[in-house]
Amino acid sequence: MSYKRSREIFEAELTAQQSPFVFFGTPLPPLDPEVRDDGSYVPVWKQEVRDERGRKRFHGAFTGGFSAGYFNTVGSKEGWTPSTFVSSRSNRRKDDAKATQLRPEDFMDEEDLVEAEEARKIQTTAAFAGLGSTEDDVARTNSVMGLFRPEGDTMGARLLRKMGWRDGQGIGPKVRRKARLDMESNASGKPDTFLFAPENVPMVGFVRKTDQKGLGFSGESRLGPARLSTKTSIAANSDEEEDDDDIAGGLGRPKFSLAVGRKKGKDKGQGGIGTGILNDNGSDDEDPYEIGPRISYNRTIGGDKKKKKTTTAINPNLKAKPIFMPKKSTLGKVGLGVRKCHDGRLPLEGFVFGREDDPLTSAVSLQVKHPPPKIPPEWKSSKTPKSQGESKDYVSTADAAKASTLDPRARAALLGEKQLPGKSVFDFMSAEARQRLVAVTGKADLPAAKGEIPAGYARTEEERQHELLSRVPKLDKETSVAALSRGTGGGAPYADNDEKRSRYRAYLEHQAGFRPALPPKPAKMSNEDWLREFQEFFNCARIFKPMTGFMASRFTTASSTSKLGSGSTAGDGDATLLAQPPSKPKDPAEEAAKLGMYGPLTRSVVDFYPTRLLCKRFNVKPPAHVQPDDGAASGSAAKKASASQFGASMQDYFATEFGSGAEASDAGGMETAASGETGAPKPAPEQMVDSTTNEALEGARAGEEVFKAIFGDSDDEDD
Amino acid sequence: MPPPFSSFPSTPIAQLLGSNGPIHAVTYSSPPSPYILTGSSDRLIRLYNPTPSPPITHHSNTITTTHPPSQTSPIPPGRLITTFPPLHSHPILSLAISPSNATFLSSGGDRTLFLWDVATSLSTRRFHGHAGRVNAVAFAGGGGDALALSGGLDGTVRIWDLRSASTKAVQVLTEARDAVTSVVAPSGGWEVVAGSVDGRVRGYDVRMGRCVVDVVGASVTSLCLDGEGGGETVLVGGLDSKVRMMDRRDGRCLRVYEGEGWRNEGVRVQSCFGGAGRWVVAGDEFPVDEEGGEGRVWAWDVMTGRVVARLGVPWGPGRRMGVGADGREKGRRNVVSCVAWKDGGRGDQFCVGGRRGWSRFLGGDRREARQDD
Repeated sequence: MSYKRSREIFEAELTAQQSPFVFFGTPLPPLDPEVRDDGSYVPVWKQEVRDERGRKRFHGAFTGGFSAGYFNTVGSKEGWTPSTFVSSRSNRRKDDAKATQLRPEDFMDEEDLVEAEEARKIQTTAAFAGLGSTEDDVARTNSVMGLFRPEGDTMGARLLRKMGWRDGQGIGPKVRRKARLDMESNASGKPDTFLFAPENVPMVGFVRKTDQKGLGFSGESRLGPARLSTKTSIAANSDEEEDDDDIAGGLGRPKFSLAVGRKKGKDKGQGGIGTGILNDNGSDDEDPYEIGPRISYNRTIGGDKKKKKTTTAINPNLKAKPIFMPKKSTLGKVGLGVRKCHDGRLPLEGFVFGREDDPLTSAVSLQVKHPPPKIPPEWKSSKTPKSQGESKDYVSTADAAKASTLDPRARAALLGEKQLPGKSVFDFMSAEARQRLVAVTGKADLPAAKGEIPAGYARTEEERQHELLSRVPKLDKETSVAALSRGTGGGAPYADNDEKRSRYRAYLEHQAGFRPALPPKPAKMSNEDWLREFQEFFNCARIFKPMTGFMASRFTTASSTSKLGSGSTAGDGDATLLAQPPSKPKDPAEEAAKLGMYGPLTRSVVDFYPTRLLCKRFNVKPPAHVQPDDGAASGSAAKKASASQFGASMQDYFATEFGSGAEASDAGGMETAASGETGAPKPAPEQMVDSTTNEALEGARAGEEVFKAIFGDSDDEDD
Repeated sequence: MPPPFSSFPSTPIAQLLGSNGPIHAVTYSSPPSPYILTGSSDRLIRLYNPTPSPPITHHSNTITTTHPPSQTSPIPPGRLITTFPPLHSHPILSLAISPSNATFLSSGGDRTLFLWDVATSLSTRRFHGHAGRVNAVAFAGGGGDALALSGGLDGTVRIWDLRSASTKAVQVLTEARDAVTSVVAPSGGWEVVAGSVDGRVRGYDVRMGRCVVDVVGASVTSLCLDGEGGGETVLVGGLDSKVRMMDRRDGRCLRVYEGEGWRNEGVRVQSCFGGAGRWVVAGDEFPVDEEGGEGRVWAWDVMTGRVVARLGVPWGPGRRMGVGADGREKGRRNVVSCVAWKDGGRGDQFCVGGRRGWSRFLGGDRREARQDD
């Protein structure tokens, strides 16, 4: 008989059983009563798989795919956390607020959480925490400073330990006493005595009053420290030593309110009204509400009760954690105040430290032990300083000069000198000189130049003119005549400037004696410029020298042709040129260019060797001395033939200038001579190698005289 | 019969805007010279059509001006056709256009030459080798574009082969004892003329294998060959504030062009022949007054050597204050450093460029005549 269960029954069975379709036996209860596991239809949007931490396990296409990440690591600590797809079109940044609310804990796994929890424990630096402020330094030096030492292994403790001291012992010679053994103390009448290390001297501690309670009140269970503060002897408190947690400063450890804070909080719970079974603590570790397995929770931040209990009993000195204290601060604090006894204590009240003087200083100061010998009253040193009075009066010259109030005028008056006119140098300076000074010094605020002339030096106009004319360079007559004759031709200098050329001609005529006076100075030209121009004319005329002199200079030595090119045309008949030899040989072409004499003087011809490709690209036949076409070889190898070329061009020039006649033929002859002379240094291009003949071998043999002249006469030697 | 004074072109036709830095090189394309190429300190080469566009199509063409022409400036801007990509890493110092107008050369402070293809606006060749910045480039050789000449700060003139794919220099001319500032080659000739800071103009005759050294004295900053005379005369601009016209056959100085107030002592100021050899045009290193910022262009009559014209080049749009080397703000000098004369074509026109960063294109009375045509 089959029947259809109602929906309610089915749902009830579903929650009660593992499988509602079991017909035989007792169905198992469901694993998770919250989860339906009947295979019933769940819409896709409801289908979610979550892991043990409630994170979504499988993800849709927009959140990373069905098995997202490497082996479905999305959402785990190795993987990335998927974010749901948000259409930026409709609701942009909808989840931003949510995203910002993520806490760091959301990204932590269990270990991280534990670590974070541990990191949250607050640790005070125990007893030293209260010393940060400086407001009551004075009080502290009096009360607190002497009461503690820097904890941990100080250098002193290490030294003591090396000397046999052990932690917890006092310092000093050993004390003979009986052993304090509680069990035996009453039994035997006269116990044996032993040598013991002295007891550790307790520090007297003063608890600073920080609360508002009345004096002496320290709460129900806090009577110990108050009692201790007045205690002076602890010889009989051996029982208290064992549990010295209650005794603040029991072994010289001051108890600060912060340090006992933990204890205090616990104690508060213990004492008081209505202490029941839950409040009674026979043991701290018992949890009255504890059910089930013992799981230890830290219910208080920073509480670690067990450790404290165990550490205190064994070594009370090291009960607190060693804390690093910077040396500077501790030293500063310790050295702040008071002197202490050698055991670290302050002197007893009412007592003052005695002063033991340093033996050396005391010896010096009191002169007790080795007083210097006494000088006899009648003794006199043989080395008396000479003339003490003089040295006192001595003043150096510089000091005297400094101290003197005289100015040059006053000094001159003292010496009886004649007063100079009250004028400065600038009054006598010309404007040009002042300009030069301004240019050199760079100071524009120099006084104005007045150009005055002292009374004795004033000259008349004629004198001045004469002086000016005397500075005009003198040219000898034949040179100027020759230069004049050259000027008639087309190649005269200053061809581009007619006025200047006329001035030049006038100068030459004056120097040659044809013209009695020099041409008048142009109006806009200053004296200096005028003279400079004459100097220029002088140089120009010197270069345009008479032909004879020039040619004569060419034939003095064989090397004169090359010298000609370099400008030092040293000739015998050339005294004017030799008179002022230029310090640095100047290029005559440059000189000529400076004078505006462009033409043959400024032109020189140098051989250069075009490459074959260059000639080809220019569509020209390569010259005979074409460079072999090995890439971009530079033309710097071009041998300069400028000297000979220049010389030749110069001769051409003069030959044309002087026209016909004997001189022309002379020049022509000279030209041939010169070319023959300079034929040797001429570059090789013309000497094309003829492979068919070897002139060296096949040429006519030189005459016998030549060989004789060179190698000597062997016959003579034989004779 | 020299033309009258007024015939020197003095009417500004167009401003070529767009550069962000000083313009160091201006050149016309080959005759009839319809286009202008400018090389600027902002590493860009710009190709302009200097003829101002008609107002109707003004905004439809590709003008990219950093400073739009203000209302006060009646000079219309020229049309910027192309800006070539900034392959140079330093300011561009020199430009040269091949006679066929198909390629051009550029050189700059990055010690490199680029050969550009005008049609594609791309660089086809690159030449390395100079040890310093390359001051001047020129085309040379048979056909006018077989070789590239470059003169650099390292004191060498390098000759590069453009016909083959070799990137090595065909020849390095190391005669100069200081930086080479200008290199020219007469068209159809077989010569290379180089001016150097050592004050010499060297003419290399390839056919004869001779190098003719002409001493000028002052440092040579620009060279310009006389086109009409077949390169017989050369205009030599020197740093002694003089421009000399020299005969290349015998090295004589034919004429010196100088002017009261014209100074060229520090920077490279170009000078060139203009008007079919009637005038000499040169920029000016020092503006007429520092405040107004008006640079000047000077023109001399070739035959007489007299100053024909002094044209002011206003500062143009943009601010004049710059930050100096000492970090303080100071006014920039309006140096007119490069000049190019339009060879061929109708009308006397020339173009100047300089410190201000825009070039100006000036035409004369003939311009109107052309407009009437």
